[in-house]
Amino acid sequence: MRRVPDWTIQTVAVVGVLGFWEWAARAGLVSPFYAPAPSAIGATLVELFAGGEVWPHIGATFGAAMIGLVLGVVVGTLLAVMAVATRPAEILLAPLMGALNAVPRIVLAPLLVIWLGIGIASKAALALLLVAVLIFFAVFSAVGGVDRRLIERVRTLGGGRWLVLREVYLPSVAALMLSSLRVAVGFAFTGAIVGEFVASSRGLGYLLSFAQSTYNTALSLAVVALIMVFVMALLALAGRLERRLTRWR
Amino acid sequence: MLEIQGLSLGYGGAAILRGVDLSVAAGQIVSLVGPSGSGKSSILRAVMGLQPALAGTITAGVPRDQIGILFQDDALLPWRSARDNVALGLRARGIDAATRGRTADAFLGKMGLAGLEDRFPGRLSGGQRKRVALAQVMALAPRLILMDEPFGSLDAIVRHRITQDLLVQVEGQGITVLLVTHDLEEALALSDAVYLLSSGPDAHIAAFHAIDLPRPRNLATVRADPRFGPLLARLWADLSAVVA
Repeated sequence: MRRVPDWTIQTVAVVGVLGFWEWAARAGLVSPFYAPAPSAIGATLVELFAGGEVWPHIGATFGAAMIGLVLGVVVGTLLAVMAVATRPAEILLAPLMGALNAVPRIVLAPLLVIWLGIGIASKAALALLLVAVLIFFAVFSAVGGVDRRLIERVRTLGGGRWLVLREVYLPSVAALMLSSLRVAVGFAFTGAIVGEFVASSRGLGYLLSFAQSTYNTALSLAVVALIMVFVMALLALAGRLERRLTRWR
Repeated sequence: MLEIQGLSLGYGGAAILRGVDLSVAAGQIVSLVGPSGSGKSSILRAVMGLQPALAGTITAGVPRDQIGILFQDDALLPWRSARDNVALGLRARGIDAATRGRTADAFLGKMGLAGLEDRFPGRLSGGQRKRVALAQVMALAPRLILMDEPFGSLDAIVRHRITQDLLVQVEGQGITVLLVTHDLEEALALSDAVYLLSSGPDAHIAAFHAIDLPRPRNLATVRADPRFGPLLARLWADLSAVVA
């Protein structure tokens, strides 16, 4: 018997669930107030895009998440390199990062709004904070976990510090950092959206907050669907980057 | 070529081996055999300067960059192709990319790996990886090669072929070799002399045998030499004595 492809099963399941949901909504089994029919959510999405008013919101969230992601990777990597390179940096940074890692960092969102205002800066800062701590630990442990035998090998072949750094440390760390990158994408959007949810005048988080305050379930679900699509597209990109850079695996 | 006198090695004051004298003449292949934990590998690491000596002197008759070392594991860079791995040492010497690519390909060809230059180590068999590691060392034209059970992990047939190929190159170019192994037959078949190390801690040289079998040797036929059997029996007797 031929094996049914995974995507067939997945498609059938999704269509089945949505179909049942649609039917239940139309038959009056669930209240549209709590669970509007998929067609209603779709209509809301179409409306959002048709008017064009959704683009500034997407742009705001996307911008904050990307700034936070890029800066977070840079800051996390730099701090990790500092912690590895010098003892004072290590004994100060490791516990600080540990403490930041221990608390759900989104608790800092209100504080960031007070400090940086309700503009994009506070959202990007929250995303940065979420990403930087993650990347810090990824890079920090990656450097510690570098294969000693490879270092010895390059050294016995006459390689100096630069060659060891370039040929052993950099690729080892990059490999581990790339696998954290996918988690980091999710974190960056969490930071941006939570930041917007707390206080903002734009962004998908703002739309969510608006939908909640107006009891607009359809809008809320439409925005959730939108965020899912965007983050999944980014994850696919990050996955492709990872596969490309780790062809050797 | 290589003179080791009164060498003591250990960690934190405790000696794993003590007072080791060992000498390898130019162009010779000398084996160091002994039970696990006798510090055989540590001697090679000390020669390379990877491990400090507690006492004693090590004098290599060639500059450091003419000494090659083959480790037990192949330790190739997984993110570099076979070619780039072989070219690594040349790169450390500042040789330009085109030359080192050509040189690497030539040495890979010599090791029977033509056509596999672009493969990553993960896509090579264990034997092929060993050949890449060997090409990596040979590409630097070493005068002295230290080998730490280089082919221990390979199955018998692959091991035999790769060892024979190595033997031909080493004899042909008059390269001096210090080989660490726990395989007495291999030591005997390859070497001009065999040092036997007792078990640690405080391991010492328990026996020395000069092997006067003719060169060039063939691994398959050297065992048929009438002197081979008695020599092997003596080595075994000595080894049994130090292990017990």
